[in-house]
Amino acid sequence: MTGTLAIVKVTLRQLLGGRRLLVLGLLGLIPGVIVWLTTSNRSPEGVFDAYHDGGVIATLFLVVMPISSIVLGSAALGDERRDGTLSFLVVRPLPRSAITTAKLIAAWIAAATVSAMSGAFASTAVSIRASDWSTFVPTIVGLAIGAGCYTAVFIVLGHLTSKAVLMGLIYLFVWETGISFAAPALSNVSLFRIGLSAYAALVPESQSALAEPLGAIAPGVGGAVTKLAVLGILAVLATAALLRNRDIA
Amino acid sequence: MTSSPAFAPEPTVVIDGVSKWFGQKVAVSDLSCSFGPGLTGLLGPNGAGKTTLLRIIAGLLQPSDGSVTVLDENPRRTPAVYASVAMVPEEDAVYGFLTGRQFIRYAAQLSGSGTDRVDDMLDAVELNDAADRPISGFSKGMRQRIKVAAALISDPTILILDEPLNGTDPVQRAKLIATFQRLAQDRTVIVSSHVLAEVERMADRVLAVVDGKLAAAGDVSSIREAMSDIPYRVRVETTDPRAVAAPLISVDHVSSVEIDGPLLHVETNDLGALGRSIPEISRDTGSRVVGFEPEDESLESVFRYLVRRR
Repeated sequence: MTGTLAIVKVTLRQLLGGRRLLVLGLLGLIPGVIVWLTTSNRSPEGVFDAYHDGGVIATLFLVVMPISSIVLGSAALGDERRDGTLSFLVVRPLPRSAITTAKLIAAWIAAATVSAMSGAFASTAVSIRASDWSTFVPTIVGLAIGAGCYTAVFIVLGHLTSKAVLMGLIYLFVWETGISFAAPALSNVSLFRIGLSAYAALVPESQSALAEPLGAIAPGVGGAVTKLAVLGILAVLATAALLRNRDIA
Repeated sequence: MTSSPAFAPEPTVVIDGVSKWFGQKVAVSDLSCSFGPGLTGLLGPNGAGKTTLLRIIAGLLQPSDGSVTVLDENPRRTPAVYASVAMVPEEDAVYGFLTGRQFIRYAAQLSGSGTDRVDDMLDAVELNDAADRPISGFSKGMRQRIKVAAALISDPTILILDEPLNGTDPVQRAKLIATFQRLAQDRTVIVSSHVLAEVERMADRVLAVVDGKLAAAGDVSSIREAMSDIPYRVRVETTDPRAVAAPLISVDHVSSVEIDGPLLHVETNDLGALGRSIPEISRDTGSRVVGFEPEDESLESVFRYLVRRR
C-alpha cells in the first residue's frame, strides 16, 4: 500500500508540474470566460440556455475534459517510458496491477482536478448570473466521470505508443465531434457521453437541450459509473499485462 | 556444466541459452552463464550486448529464446523477487523534479524497505550536501551516485550495475568500486563496463561479451592471458615523431609503427614493455613524449580476437 500511494503522489507531481499544468489551466479558463461574456443581462433561464445550448457544456465535455484527460492519461506511463524511469518503477516487488492502478488513480485525479476546476469556474459564473447553484455539483461529477473514462483508455495507449495524444485528438475531433454526431446509433461508442449522461441525469432540465449530443445514450448516473468502473478495470488489466509481457526499453 | 568458468559454483542468476533479437538485429546470441556471490565484471565494447543481457536478467526484456532465473524465479512472472534484486541502469532513470532525498525515499517505499536508511545511503554516496536539491541540477556523476544509493536502499542480495562508473571522477570511482567490492563479500554483484582497466580493478571474475556472444570467462589473469598474444594499438604523441619512430620499430615487442602528423600509432604485444621503452627512446632522441594512451579501437580488437579464438 505504501508503494502504491508513493506512486500516486510522485505521478501527480510528474503530471501536474511545469508547462503542462499552465497550458491545461489556461484551456480550462475558456468555458468560464465564455459564460461570463455571453450571459450578462440575461434572465436565469437565458443563462442556463447559454450554458447548455450556447456551447459552454460542449466546450467543457468535448474540449477541456477530453484534452486534459488524453494528455494526462497518456503521460501517466508515457512520461516514464520517455524518461527511462519505467525500469525504476518496474524493478520493484510490486504486482504490475498495483503499479497500473496507482498510475490510473493519479492520472484520473489529475485530469478530474483540471476538468473539475474548469467546470467549477464555468458553473460558478452561471450560478452567480442565475443566482442558482443547481449545475455546480453535477458539472463536477459529470466531468470527473468523463475524465476517468478517457484516462482509463489513454493510460493504455500512452504505454503502447508515443503518439497517444495525437491519436486521442484524432479520435476526439473525428469520432466524438464528427462521426458520432452524424450517426447517433454510434453514440454508444463515445467516452464524453458517459460523463455527459451523468450530468444530464443530475440536471433534468438540461435533458432536452442535451438530447442531440447524448444521441442514443440515456441519462443516468448509475450507468455512467458502471461504465467508468468497467473501463477502469479493463485498463488496469490491460496495462498490467502489457507491463508483464512487453519489453521495457 | 558448472566446471566451465562461465558458470558460478553457487549460482543466484542462471542464464540458459538466451538469445535476444530486435527485428533483424541479434543483440544476444545463445548465451549461457551464471552469476553467484562475489563481484563479476561483464566486459565488452559498446554495442556488445551487455546492457541487453543485464536488462534480460533484470526482467525488463523478454528473451527471444532461452531462459533466465533469478533466485530460481523468472522475474517477469514473479515481481516478489525484486525484493532481493536491484538494478542501476545505464541511462538517467531518475525523476528530475525530485530531490536526491525524495528519490531515495521513493525507491525505499517502492521496495517495501524502511525509509530510516535514507540518510545512510546519502552518506554512502557522499551526496548529503546535495540531498535537498532537485536531481535535474545534478551532474552526470551525481546522478550515477544517486541511482546507486536508490538501488542499495533495499539492501539487495543481487545488485545489477550497468556502466555505473560513467561520468564519475577518479576519486568517486575509487569509492564506488570499494563500495561494490564490500557489497560483493556476501552478495551477487554484476557490473558491466567497456573499460578493461575498470573491470580489472574491481572484479574477481570476468565474462567478456562480444557481438552478443560470450567471448571469454574466468578470472582477470586468465582473460589477460587470453589476450596476451594479440597486438595492442597505442597512440603516442611526441614532439619529434620521426626521430622516435625509427628506434621504436626495431624494438622486439613492437610489430608496427605508423606516423600520423604528431602522432605515432604503435602495435605491440607487450604494453608494459612498450611503456618502459618509450622514456628511454625519448631520452636518447632528445624528443618529448606528450601523450601515451591505448587507442579506443584496440579494446574492441581484443574482444573481436577473443571471439575469433572461440
